Formats: sequence, C-alpha cells, structure tokens
Amino acid sequence: MRIVWLLCWLWASGAFAAAPVLTQVVPGQRLNFPADFGAHPDYRTEWWYATGWLTTPDNKPLGFQVTFFRVTTASDSANTSHFAPRQLIIAHAALSDPALGHLQHDQKSARAGFGLAYANVGNTDVKLDRWTLKRGADGVYQTRIRGREFSFDLRLTPSQPPMLQGDHGYSRKGPEPGQASYYYSEPQLRVSGTVTRNGKPVTVSGSAWLDHEWSTRYMDARAVGWDWVGANLADGGALMAFQMRRADGSPLWAHASLRDAHGKTTEFDGAAVQFKPRRYWRSPRTGARYPVAMELRTGSLVWRLMPLQDDQELDSRLSTGAVYWEGATTLTRDGQPAGRGYLELTGYAGAMKL
Amino acid sequence: MLELRHLTKSYANGRRVLNDVSYSLAAGEFVAVMGDSGVGKSTLLNLIAGLDAPDAGAIMVDGVDIAALDDNAATRLRRARMGFVFQAFHVLPHLNLQQNVALPLLLNGADLSRAGSMLEAVGLGGRGADFPHQLSGGELQRVAIARALVHRPALVLADEPTGNLDPDTAQQILRVLRDELRSTGASAIMVTHSHAAAATADRVLILSQTGLHAA
Amino acid sequence: MGWGKLNRWLVWGEWRAYPLRALTAVLAIALGVALGFAIDLINSAAYNEFSAAARSLAGQADLEVRGTQPTFDERVYPMLATRAGVAQASPMLELEASVPGQTSALKIIGVDVLRAASMTPDLVGVAAADKPFDTLADDAIFLSPAAMAWLNTRVGQQIQLRAGSRVVSLRVAGGLVRARTGQRLGVMDIGAAQWRFNRVGQLSRVALKLTEGVNLLAFKQALANDLQGRLQVLQSADETSRSASLSRAYRVNLNVLALVALFTGAFLVFSTQALSVIRRRSQFALLRVMGVTRAQLLRQVALEGGLLGALGAALGIAGGYALAATALRFFGADLGGGYFPGVQPTLQFAPISAGVFFALGLAVALLGSAVPAWEAARAPAAQALKSGSEETALNRLATPWPALGLMAIGGVLTLAPPIGNLPIPGYIAVALLLIGGIALMPRLVGLVFQALQGVPTRRPLVMLVLSRLANAPGQAAIALGGVLASFSLMVAMAIMVASFRVSVDDWLAQVLPADVYIRSAASGNTAALALAEQAQIAGTPGIARVDFLRLSQLNLDPARPAVALIARNVDVSTAERVLPLVQAVAVPADRVPIWVSEAMVDLYGFTPGKTVRLPLVGQWRAVVVAGVWRDYARQFGAIQMRLGDYRRLTGDTAVNDAGLWLHAGTTPAQAIARLKALPFGAALEYAEPGEIRAVSLKIFDRSFAVTYLLEAVAIVIGLFGVAATFSAQILARAKAFGMLRHIGVTRRQVLAILAAEGGLLTLMGMAVGFVLGWVISLILVFVVNPQSFHWRMQLHVPWGLLATVAAALLLAAVLTALIAGRSALSGSVVRAVKEDW
Repeated sequence: MRIVWLLCWLWASGAFAAAPVLTQVVPGQRLNFPADFGAHPDYRTEWWYATGWLTTPDNKPLGFQVTFFRVTTASDSANTSHFAPRQLIIAHAALSDPALGHLQHDQKSARAGFGLAYANVGNTDVKLDRWTLKRGADGVYQTRIRGREFSFDLRLTPSQPPMLQGDHGYSRKGPEPGQASYYYSEPQLRVSGTVTRNGKPVTVSGSAWLDHEWSTRYMDARAVGWDWVGANLADGGALMAFQMRRADGSPLWAHASLRDAHGKTTEFDGAAVQFKPRRYWRSPRTGARYPVAMELRTGSLVWRLMPLQDDQELDSRLSTGAVYWEGATTLTRDGQPAGRGYLELTGYAGAMKL
Repeated sequence: MLELRHLTKSYANGRRVLNDVSYSLAAGEFVAVMGDSGVGKSTLLNLIAGLDAPDAGAIMVDGVDIAALDDNAATRLRRARMGFVFQAFHVLPHLNLQQNVALPLLLNGADLSRAGSMLEAVGLGGRGADFPHQLSGGELQRVAIARALVHRPALVLADEPTGNLDPDTAQQILRVLRDELRSTGASAIMVTHSHAAAATADRVLILSQTGLHAA
Repeated sequence: MGWGKLNRWLVWGEWRAYPLRALTAVLAIALGVALGFAIDLINSAAYNEFSAAARSLAGQADLEVRGTQPTFDERVYPMLATRAGVAQASPMLELEASVPGQTSALKIIGVDVLRAASMTPDLVGVAAADKPFDTLADDAIFLSPAAMAWLNTRVGQQIQLRAGSRVVSLRVAGGLVRARTGQRLGVMDIGAAQWRFNRVGQLSRVALKLTEGVNLLAFKQALANDLQGRLQVLQSADETSRSASLSRAYRVNLNVLALVALFTGAFLVFSTQALSVIRRRSQFALLRVMGVTRAQLLRQVALEGGLLGALGAALGIAGGYALAATALRFFGADLGGGYFPGVQPTLQFAPISAGVFFALGLAVALLGSAVPAWEAARAPAAQALKSGSEETALNRLATPWPALGLMAIGGVLTLAPPIGNLPIPGYIAVALLLIGGIALMPRLVGLVFQALQGVPTRRPLVMLVLSRLANAPGQAAIALGGVLASFSLMVAMAIMVASFRVSVDDWLAQVLPADVYIRSAASGNTAALALAEQAQIAGTPGIARVDFLRLSQLNLDPARPAVALIARNVDVSTAERVLPLVQAVAVPADRVPIWVSEAMVDLYGFTPGKTVRLPLVGQWRAVVVAGVWRDYARQFGAIQMRLGDYRRLTGDTAVNDAGLWLHAGTTPAQAIARLKALPFGAALEYAEPGEIRAVSLKIFDRSFAVTYLLEAVAIVIGLFGVAATFSAQILARAKAFGMLRHIGVTRRQVLAILAAEGGLLTLMGMAVGFVLGWVISLILVFVVNPQSFHWRMQLHVPWGLLATVAAALLLAAVLTALIAGRSALSGSVVRAVKEDW
C-alpha cells in the first residue's frame, strides 16, 4: 500500500515529448526471487516501506518508518543528458516517540544518477545520497538514515519467508483488473541497531514489517484515500488489511490477509473486511481529522487498533505535498494484546496537492 | 578717566609721528585736538582705541593700559567704554537706522530700547525704519553720533566729524554732539581741522612734533 | 544674546541687498551636490540591484564551484556531492541563450529542481496546478516577469531560442515569482538544458551547502587545493566583489565628474564670499572698531558661507533625489554605460550618502569662505576704514610659492601607482593642478597686464583698461577662478574624449579588415557554427577567404570578471596584420603563442615573452605571450590564440563569428544573399565593417553622454561665477565710472571699457585654462585611463570644438560684462547705491 498519492500526478503529466512505454501489472505472473527483491524500472512506481516497533535500553517503545520510492517518469528517451530525470528516488523517514508527543520526520528526493541516487535491479539496493536500504545475499536488510533531527542504522533480519499478498503477489487495488500491483511483505523482521538523537546514539532492538510493491496503474479515480494496517502478531502471525475509500468514506475496494504462525494464509475480500472508526484526533497543524483508533473486522475476527500516540501526522506539504497519518499502533483481540504494527491513513487532509 | 603717558609712535617707514605725548583727560571733559596734516592726529585716536600699539608709553583707560592688552581684551574694552564718530560716517548700508544705532547695544548684550530714544535725541525720531541711502550727509552723521553714545560710553573718539559737511550742518552736528556728551556725561576727544569746530570743545589742544599742548 | 541677533541682521541685510548673488552661490552648491548625490544614488541602486540579483542566484549556498571556462565536465558533480563536509550539492548549467531578432541574450539557468529547491529557492519555477512536474519537463521553461515582458510571451506559449545554428522551441510553463524586478531570467530542468542546447556532460557551477559545524574557510581552502585551480571555489562575497569590480572604475569616474561640478561650485562660493568681504571691508572694520572681536568676525563670515552651503546642500539633496529618479526612469541604471544590463533598480533614499554629500556641500562652502573670512578678521581695522585698500587685501593671494608647490606635488603624484586599482593619485594630481593654477592666477594676470601696460599707447580707453587689470589683478583673478576651473576641465575632458574616440575609430578600422562579418547570433553563447556549417560558408562562391573566430570566456581570478578568449587564425610572423599589436616578441615554433590585450599585462602580469598557464578544459596549459595588442572593447582583458591551437587544446570545433574576404567582382550584398540561402543562413547576423564601426561609435558616444552633460553643467556654473563676479566688481566701481562720465567719457565708451576688461580677462582665463586643461588631459589620457580601464590611446586635440566653446564662453563673458555695466550705469551716475545685478 502506501503513499503513492503524489506519484499519481505523473499519470496526468504530459510534459514529456516521447514517453517510454511501461509494463502493466497482470494476474497470473509468479514473483521471481531474488530478482524481484530488486527494482523494476519498467513499472511506473515502486516502493520499499519498512515500519516497526523498537525498544530503547530504558525499555521505552519507539516507532520507526523508512520508505524509499522509485518513480519512472515520462522523460523523453531521446534525451542524452545524464541529468535526464528518467527515475526519481524519494525517501521518507520518521521516528515516533510518545515522550515527544509527535513524529520526527525527514524526507529527500532526487533524480537517479551519478551514483548519488539509485534503485538497483537484482536485489534490494536503494540509495539517496547518504540514505540507503540494502538487502544482503543472506536476506538481511541494512538501512541507514541521516536526518536533520535524528539518524539511525538498523539491521532487519527475516525470521519467516516473504508473504505474497493477494493472488501470489498480484494485489488488486480497485474494481478494474489493471488497478493492481505486485506486492509482497516481509513480516516479523527482527531489528537491531542504533538510533541517534541530539548526537546521542542509543542501541535498539525490536520487530519490523517491510513492504515491497510495484505498479504502473494503481488507484481508481474515485478513490480519495485509503486505510492500511500491517502488524506482526504476538503469536508469530502477520496481518495486513486495507481499504480504498470514496469521498463519502464508503469503501471502494478492500482486502486483508492473515498468515498464522505456521504459514497458513487466509484471504478476506470485499465486505469481509471492515474498518470502523472508534476515535478521531484532529491535527492542530492541518485541521485534518483522523480515525486514529479503529475497529477492524476480517471475517469473524475483530481487532482493535490503538495508536502509540495520537499525533503521528506527517506534514510534508512544503516538499512532496502529502499530508497523512502514519503511526505505530497496537492490536488487541477480545481485549487481549494481539500484536504491534503500523496504521496508515491517507486522504483525510482534504485535497492533497503538490 | 584717560591718561596718556609719554606716547611715542613711528610709522612703518620710520617717520616719527608722536613724540612723548602725555595728557590726562578728566571725566566729562570734551577736548578738540588740532594740528598740521600728518602730525599723527588719527594715529593718536587709533592708539587710544587700541587699534594700534604705541612704540613706547602707556594709555590708561579707567586705570588699565589698553596698549598692554591683547586684541580680544582691547576689543572688549573698546566695545564697552568707547564710542566712535568718523569723517566718512561709516553707517552700515544694509541695516536700517534703528539697527545701526542699536549695534553697540547688541554687541554689549544690552537692552535695545535706548536706540529709539537716542535717534530721537539726535533729531531723527520716527525714522528708525529708514535705510542709510535715504539720508543726507548731516543726517548720517547724526546717526553716527547716536550710535557712538547709545551704550553710554565713557569716552567718545571723533575723527573729523564735520569734515564732509557744509558749515551750517557742521554747526548743527557739533551742537548735537556736545549736547549729547553733556547729557550722557561722556568725555570726548575730537580731532579736527576746523577752528569753528574746535571752538565747541571745552579745551583745544595742538598736536605737534613736541607733543600735545594747550593752544 | 545680542550677538545672535546681530548675526541675523548682518546675514539678512547682505542677502536682502544681494539676493541674486546669494542665490547663485546656493544654486552652484545645490547643482554640485545634486549631481554627486544623484550619481551616487543611481550607482548604488544599480549596484544593489545587481548584487541582490547575484545573491538570489546564489541562494543559501555556502560555496560555489565554477570552471575557468563557461562550462566544465559534469563528472565533478558527484565528486563534490559525496565529499566529506558537503551536506548538499546543487548542479547548474548557465546559458546566455541567443534570442533570434534580439541584440541581448536570455540568461537561462538549468537546475535540478530537487537539489535546488532548498538551496536556491528563487530558482524554482512555479508550475501550473495541473502540471506539477513541469519543473522536470524537457520542453518547459520558467520565465521571470521581466523576461516574459521582454519576449512578449506568457504561460502556455512557445518561445524560440538559438542552439547552434538551429532553433529550439520551449514551452513557457510558468513564472519565477521571486525574480527581481527587471531581472531577465529563465529556469529549466538541467537535463533538458544540457540536451536542448548541446551541452550534454557540461555544468557551469555547483552550489554547495556544508554540513553544520564544518569550517567554511578551511573547507574552501582544502577544496581549492584539491582542484588545483582547474576549477574555482567561490563564496557569495566573491561574487559580489566581482560584480562590483565590473563597474567600479566607471562608477568612480562618474563620481569624480560630479565632484568636479561641486569643485566648481566651491570656487563660486569663494568668489562670491571673497568679493563680498572685500566690498564690506570698511563695514567689517567699523564693526571691529566698535568692539567685535576677530573670532566673532571670522564666525560671521563663515556663518554666511555655511548658511549658503547648508541651503545649497539641502536643495541639492532634494534635487539629487529627483534627478536620480528621472535619470533612472529615462536612461536606465547604467546611464548609457552598459554595465548593468537587464537590471531595473528601485531608487532608495540613502541617509548616509545624503549625509556625506550634504557635509561635502557644506564643507565646500565653508572652505570657499575660509580665506575671505580669515582675511576679513585679520585686516587692520583703522587702515581698512579708508577706501581704496581693497587690493591690498588680495596681496597675500599673489604669493606664487604655495601654488607652485601644489602643482609640483600634483606632478609627482602622476607617477604614483593606482590605489586599489583606482587612479586616486591621478585624480588628486588633477585637483592639485587646478587649485594651484587658480591660485597662481592673480600673479599671472598682474604679470601679463603689467607687461602689456608697458606697450606705449595714446588711446586713453586702452590705457584705462590695462592699468586697471595690471594694478588690481587680485580681484580680476578671483573673477576668473570659476572660468578657469570649468574651462580647463572642459578642455581636459574634451581632449581625453576626442583622443579616445579617434583612437577607437582608428582601432576599429584596424580590427575590421574583412569585407563582410557574420555572427552566429547577436548575443548569447548558445548559438554557434559547427564544422560542417563552417565548410559550407567557406565553400560559398565568391568568398575568397574566411577567418573563423571562436569567442568564449576564461576565469583566471575568482575575484575578477572573466577575460575573453578569442581563437582565430593568426600567423605568428604576420600577427600585426590581424591584431592591433603594440608589442611583439619572437616565440619558439614548438610553443603555443597567445596575444594578450593591454589589460592582461596590467591585471595579470602577462608580459611579452613570459610563459603562462591557462586552465583549459580542466587542464593547465603552458602558453607563451607572443605580443600585446590594443583592445578598447574589453577592459577586463582578452586573450587571442590560434584557432588550431584552441581546437587541439579544448576539442571545441564550433565558431561564433567569421570575417569574409570576397573575390573581386563579388559585392558584399551578393555574398550575403548567397549565404542567406544556406540552410542555416537566415539565422545568422550579417554586417559590413562600416555598419559595425558606426554602431560601435554610437555606443561610444552614448556612454560618454553623461560625461558631456556633467561637463556642460560645470561650464554653466563657471559662467554663473563670471557673471556674479563681473557684476559685483563693475557695480562696486560705479563711483569711478560716475567720475569718468563727469570728465567726459561717453556712456558707450564706459561700456566698451567694461566689455574690453571682461573679454581680456576671460581670454586670459581661457589661455591659462587651456594650458592647465591640456596638462590635465595628459594626466587623464596617460595616467587615469590606463589605470582605470587598462587601455592606452594617442593624444588628439579637438581644436574645432575647443575654439567653439572658447568663443561661446568669451561672448558670454563680454555680454555679462555689458549687461552688468548697463544696469550699473542706468541709475544715478553719481551714486549707484543699488549694487545688485
């Protein structure tokens, strides 16, 4: 899932004379690893999105988020300049510390080129200046972020095989067949590393979730935003659910996957997936109202989603233009702690513009 | 009031004009000084005024030797204690009569009101706003006399005050001068060539190579 | 206190009696202050705007890396971006895009918007809401409001620009809202700019933002060391000083000219005050007798001058502001000098500068009053009360030694080197010569007319005139101060400008030997002719020979403007045929010869025979200075090298210009018609040497227009002075004329005396003024100009112009004398009490 809003603008962009022809997402195609861990420049957009819960040495919870986007633009292929903006790399990073009361976040964007910014094929290897996310041959991810207010170096070690979303990795996003992406997740990643704030490095450990998704046509025109959640369950399972919303808040498309600790996956479609707001929080900065506490039904299962803190809004209107809520969230089932994950709420801050 | 002690003065070219001149002027005394041209009458007046310095001798004004003072001190003494009347009137052309007469009062920081009564006293009452070019020679000299006496000086120095005037006007002017000297009680030294003029003075002195002597 | 009242009475009485004279002095000061202040306001407005525009281009960057040539290899960019201590690096490609049909170019900056957004936010175009990615588009350009107005286009339309010999069409995608008023600028994607304008692989500069805590100077030094001069590291302050030095000499020259007007004003105040003091000698003596001290009298005269100065200076400040506003509106910021293209400054009142010019006006007036005040206070009162002592008051002025001393110091100063690249000693020498010359006037007037008096004559009028001039030279000389100052400066400027113009004209004939000239575009650096196109031109029938020329720029010193690098066919043995050489040396055949302009010798020490290194395409290349040539076109230096050498060293085979020699029987028109028929022919610019010469001289004249204007003002002020002093003297002598009339001299004869006196004096003043002006022109031509602009010229005296101005001045002086005389004689012959003119 994730924040592709701004990238959708490229659909409408007629700025380039001779745009390259892009590959469409079609059902029935098997994902091919390890090549599909790497970038897919023939598709319009792609992202690697890691979120997770960390624990500091003094046993305090800390949420983190690292995202690398790759966008293939409609740049004229006749342009021989090395600066021709064929691919853009965009990265977001955030820390959620309840002690602070709001998110700390940073972002970068650049055109791919000169070895300064790239998304390599073959295996996960993305770089934007000094920000990197790289998957080793052993499957372990290393990410390094150097933000203005914080930096971190984290090691994300898989404990389970990748979780292919939808139909073996073909994930429908809307009523039309082309509105889909290739999508897999790496849940239950074990995290270790350091987080540095105010010049003080702190050793952290925890668990994380990584999404890798690529697509050429993604969202239905009627959708104004979506709600998404991905969570590592306490029993070793993994839960992913999303819904695309219309302007009136009604679901346009919804889907959920639940993989239990033994690797058995259950898929839920349409009405079987329901998001019900239970509490709203209004941002003092943007005035947007987010349903930060939700009730999620997947089939007969009812999950309660509770935010680590209310203010986990990301306001990047000055650069990429998106305003959304992306926050560490705990899951309970029947009143019992069930897991920890990240909730993403987009399209609540009114019309989003670049 | 004024005492000249053994004054000697030579011109720059070496010609001696004053030779051991001594005289003592009493308060309220009006003397006329006569003598041949070039004998040093004007020079004598310049020395008394502190505008020039003697080669030898002293000029005691109110007990102070003006010849020994520096320029500023001499100027202040002159400003406060002396009044002047010249042959060529020397009235400032761009000031009106009132202003011309008021000049010494201004310089001494005194009240200006006496300028009007002084003009009246010399017969020019009501003409204070007139400018010098509207006046005849006799009238100009009346202005000069008013100016010389307006600040009640102890000593008036007059250098040929009637030299540029016809005899009738001259007589009038001398009468005015004499009357005003009397009424203010000032002493005066008048240098003149005219016996008629000299006759109006209390005493007539002759300046010659041998000094200043009674006629 | 009564003294203040007396001050007022005396000042007011004097001004009421001579209102015009006081007014003239006030106006003279006002004119000088106004001119100086206006020029300063205009200069600083233009300069501020220029540096603000430069700062806006530099943005938040800490440092900027720039090539020695307009572009450098882009591979430097990742090296800089990943260097330790660099937080951000923003690459830029700067182009001067040639615009078809326009004589000036459009500055385009190609930026990586994602890198530039945080560092140079002014260079981010505002895209339409529905096309946010236009900032990355390869067919889009964002234009500043001034650029849109200039190109007569708006968002959504296409504009045409030259790239090589072709035309590129770009879509105006939006505006640059933070561009400065008048700033003509276009911004586009850097990749698109490289591609569309044949600059793939090239950058113009990389702006760097350093990581917090990194020592800027240490980083700059280390980076500069690593780059070894192949690239330059600049701070934004360097950029400002560069733009300042671009126009500094010109600005200083204008300011000096304005000061000349003020200087002339000072003489006017001096003559007004001096004559007024002389006239009032007996009055001042009377005041002294009545008990006014010397200091009080000194203060009184100084107060009068100071009041004139303060009034004039205040008027001048107001007038200067108005003048600057008017000039900016009608002539632009560079006053025709061409130093601030595409800049539209807004005028701002400058309190400090206003204070300085006010003080200057006041000081000049006080200075003008100082000598007369001193004289008035020193005069022996008893003696001064007698009439006829006026001339003795001026005796002191007749002592020649101080004047000769000043002139000698001035002469020595002409040998001094410039201070801070400005010919300050030269200007001081000019001032000293002027002051010395004027101070010497009474002596000279006395000598000359005493000698003339010795000539036996039986004509009483001639005798009267000569005796007056011979025996009262002081007053006559004072009258001449203004004439002398303005005329000698006029002579100096006229000789300098004429020398320059004739030299430029000769030079143009020498540097334009071909029959026809073609240019790839009138301006900019994006238009060029490739090898194939060069061959087509050379192969056109009727063309005997083509001299192709590649013009580019070379940055040798970060703190100085770039020098021009000209590559063309030069034969070492016959270089003087194509270059206006002033010096040449033999160069070994295996070395690369270059020929440098005179400025290169002065600024960079490129002396003939010297081996120097030039940074070309990232390499230091050793070359030998084979000769020095005269260049009136580029004051910051130019280097010529052989086209073959240039191509070998840089790999650049394009050319900008070409000179064509035609076969006998082919007319220029025929050749141009044939060239225009070539596929790229219509886009070229064609000119015959005559046209280029005419245009060049027109530009020359325009850039000196302000100079002429300031000169004219100085002369008018000088004439005011003549009028004021003649009138004053004639009226002061009304009694003497009355006497002459009594003894049988006719009215006409009196007027003739006056006219003769005025004419003779003016003639005398002009004769001395010419000599003085000629000497000053030598300083201007041989000291000030080479030091300011680094070019030398031959002396050329514009006799016709000088004779015309001299005749006009003489006529004006005689007329002034007559008018003043008539009014003096119009009233009562015996008493002319109303002495004002």
